[in-house]
Amino acid sequence: MNNAARFPEVLCTTAWIVSLATLGTWLFTGAHTGWTQTRVITLQHDEITGIEYPVFHDAFVAGVEFLAAGLVIGAALAAFGLWLGRKRTAAHV
Amino acid sequence: MNTKIIRNSLTAFAVIAAGFVTAYASPQTFDFQDPKGVNNVRFSLDAPLESITGTGTGISGSVRFDVDAPAATTGRIVLDVASLTVGNPLMTDHLRGEHWLDAAAHPQIVFEAASVANVRSQGSQIIADVTGKLTVKGVTREITVPVTFTHLADKLGARLGDPKLKGDLLVLRANFTINRSDFGIQPGQNTDKVAETIQLSLSIAGAAPRS
Repeated sequence: MNNAARFPEVLCTTAWIVSLATLGTWLFTGAHTGWTQTRVITLQHDEITGIEYPVFHDAFVAGVEFLAAGLVIGAALAAFGLWLGRKRTAAHV
Repeated sequence: MNTKIIRNSLTAFAVIAAGFVTAYASPQTFDFQDPKGVNNVRFSLDAPLESITGTGTGISGSVRFDVDAPAATTGRIVLDVASLTVGNPLMTDHLRGEHWLDAAAHPQIVFEAASVANVRSQGSQIIADVTGKLTVKGVTREITVPVTFTHLADKLGARLGDPKLKGDLLVLRANFTINRSDFGIQPGQNTDKVAETIQLSLSIAGAAPRS
């Protein structure tokens, strides 16, 4: 089997990888249901006054648009791979 | 001779007593421009499709407070709209933008205390209902906020790491809610993503230095 013949299969595998990586990233960063965040707040404690105050840290928290984009790209790759595979199968018949 | 000594002693006592009374019993003005930058207001909005949390740290203003007469407290707390931040930079820009808080036209959120009622003690803290005028985006509404006052005598030096610095601290804490439509902030718009009710949590410390 040459590389061109394996192309649909590669596309479908890539689709799975993209979809699972997107889902995994979204779950791993907290399954945040809002928009993607690039800064997160942690609370620190002022010793004398007892005031809790926020400190921002750079961090990536994947949001729903990240999840949606990853799954759409995965679905598109899978659909293209399947379409290409069927087209080639039909051409061989 | 004895009369002179007694008179001098009494005068010295009067001066010391007057100083003590001035230092500890009279109203003090606390400046809330915090050099440590920990003063903050946290806000959260919980809409069906989106939860938004953020903070504002650009706090200034002053409060006149007498630990023996907390009901006479007056003051003004100011929050710079440009200091309001959420986790998403684009959302922060929108928050400060003209459609929402319009920081360019209305750079400050101001609360001006007018009266204090229902004063009670809870341990070392004083709890009271503070009524005043809150101005957001140019709209002023009267609100009542439950405030906890914590007076920390002689703690200014310890807080700023300078033992020579004398003075007291006043910590104010308040949790309350406002409705954005009351202040003309996109009333009735985008309520699925931006909740109508804004929960606010204020934690601020003011300093009253003594010379």
